[in-house]
Amino acid sequence: MQYSIIQVILVFVVTFIAAIDQFSFLESLYQPLVMGMVIGLILGDLTTGLIVGGTYQLMTIGNMPIGGAQPPNAVVGGIMATVLAISLGLEPNIAVATAIPFSLLGQYGVTLIFTLMSPLMSKADQFSADANPQGIERINYLSMTLLGLIFGAVVTLFFIGGATMGDAVVKAIPTWLSDGLSAAGGMMRFVGFAILLKFMMNRDMWGFYFMGFGLALIVSGISTLATPALLILALIGFGIAYWDYQQQTKLKGAAIDSDGGEEDGI
Amino acid sequence: MASNEEMTTYKNLDAAPELDQRTLNQMAWRSCFLQASFNYERMQAAGWLYSILPGLEKIHTDKDDLATSMTHNMEFFNIHPFLVTFAMGLILSMEQKKVDIPTIRAVRVSLMGPLGGIGDALFWMTLVPITAGICSNMAISGNVFGPILFLVIFNIVQFVLRFGLMNWSYKMGMSALDYLMEHMAAFTRAASILGVFVVGCLTVTMGGTQINAVIPNGTTQAYVAHTATVPTDDVKGFEVISKADDGTTLSGMVDATGNPLVTADADGNKVAAGAVDLGNGMSEVTYFTTTTNPVTIDVATILDSICPKLVPLSIVMLLFYLFSKKNFTPMKGIALVLVIGILGAGPFGLWPSIWG
Repeated sequence: MQYSIIQVILVFVVTFIAAIDQFSFLESLYQPLVMGMVIGLILGDLTTGLIVGGTYQLMTIGNMPIGGAQPPNAVVGGIMATVLAISLGLEPNIAVATAIPFSLLGQYGVTLIFTLMSPLMSKADQFSADANPQGIERINYLSMTLLGLIFGAVVTLFFIGGATMGDAVVKAIPTWLSDGLSAAGGMMRFVGFAILLKFMMNRDMWGFYFMGFGLALIVSGISTLATPALLILALIGFGIAYWDYQQQTKLKGAAIDSDGGEEDGI
Repeated sequence: MASNEEMTTYKNLDAAPELDQRTLNQMAWRSCFLQASFNYERMQAAGWLYSILPGLEKIHTDKDDLATSMTHNMEFFNIHPFLVTFAMGLILSMEQKKVDIPTIRAVRVSLMGPLGGIGDALFWMTLVPITAGICSNMAISGNVFGPILFLVIFNIVQFVLRFGLMNWSYKMGMSALDYLMEHMAAFTRAASILGVFVVGCLTVTMGGTQINAVIPNGTTQAYVAHTATVPTDDVKGFEVISKADDGTTLSGMVDATGNPLVTADADGNKVAAGAVDLGNGMSEVTYFTTTTNPVTIDVATILDSICPKLVPLSIVMLLFYLFSKKNFTPMKGIALVLVIGILGAGPFGLWPSIWG
């Protein structure tokens, strides 16, 4: 099946928007349900687009970005499933399955982008130190544009290149590189944690850090509490903090009245 | 405080005039782009700063104060994207009252914990599965209103939450702060406790790094029982089929001194080698062969038996040490983590990956 240049450009533009939308903006346009319809319209087969989009959407319901995890990428997956179904005439279920290597590739791409975007933050620090709001705005606009361009280019290539290309590209990436980058990506948040601790920590506070660590180990070990884990932990933490607040205000006030003074605990 | 150059209070401590509705709305709209520059180091920090910038610029007319405020708001931040305006309202009310920076930071960090869980439960486990489920079935039956209905419902909920929470939490922050500021020192301390506690929790819930290396540790040899039915005349040949240099039987029925071999099967039941004459000129023989099993040390199991999430904890502690004692910049921290990640994965296949 041959596509016109206008269809190729439209697929690129739609992917560009969807790639940004998966993390920012409406965070709903990118859903396969919607993308199936849009791509179906562009390729001139709305019904197939609707069916494939709906099928893909149902598959992703158990695969949501809960707790910030990166599931197989629904943007690349949803768009490619629709493209494959319409161009190759595949059954919706088969098209969805065929699109999975593409969605894994998209997931890998997101991990890569999130990892490589980290050094940009020192530039943002510099803009902050210079009180330069325009700089911060530009960093955000630039990041979104980059994300859209990378996704747009990759999906358009697959769109032209066809189904075999996804597998070929996945195999061309050395495992040690993808493993290493995704392991590094998983560790980069520790840099953020450590900087927060640097600012917040003093000798009095270490106990509370380890208390949080220990209680989180217990709560996260209970599978039924997986979703409300952080809420439960925050309730415990709030209890401790509130108790400390009471100690420092009312109770300390009483102590000062009786024995006339006490070290300030700060 | 660990850093010398760090500011703890603003220069201009006079409360700024209250933010007008237009600015609040502008920031609620900007909050849609919270994750514009999402990355693994600071996550939503730059998007967060982008979202609250219109307010910060109104509040901090002093350029140095604006720089101070922007700098501390560029620290690690990660919250549920649809509930972020709740945090924005609270933090802006604190910025406006020129609360000291450690307190603002502590409250901001504390908010990361609870909102993530609530947002996931509300959106990814309730709203999206229900609406997308119904709308997908409409789409599969060819109804073009499926996707459209999904978009309408999802975005109404999203924007009601974004604008509603922004206004509500800003006003709540303004009134709550008047009371809290009477005991500012105690409030700062309590907020810091909760903040540090939450970072401890995040180390566990967001720390997925694990060393999955499997180290080979020699081999063990074990007998495996086989049964076969053979002519009784051939039983003699099964007594010792092969033996090692020291005379130990590798496969067969009897050991070097002529006693039957004994082993245990997978369920731990005793199995003895030997032959049973079936009486028709055939015998059922139970003979053993030796198998060699590799023994491995699973590093992850050992680490978890000491304390789960030991690897995330160690890396956070190492980085904390480097940042606070060795004056490491965040950039150096990232470079270090990249090197650890790549080296651990065994570059160019030089050694097996430890990440599993």
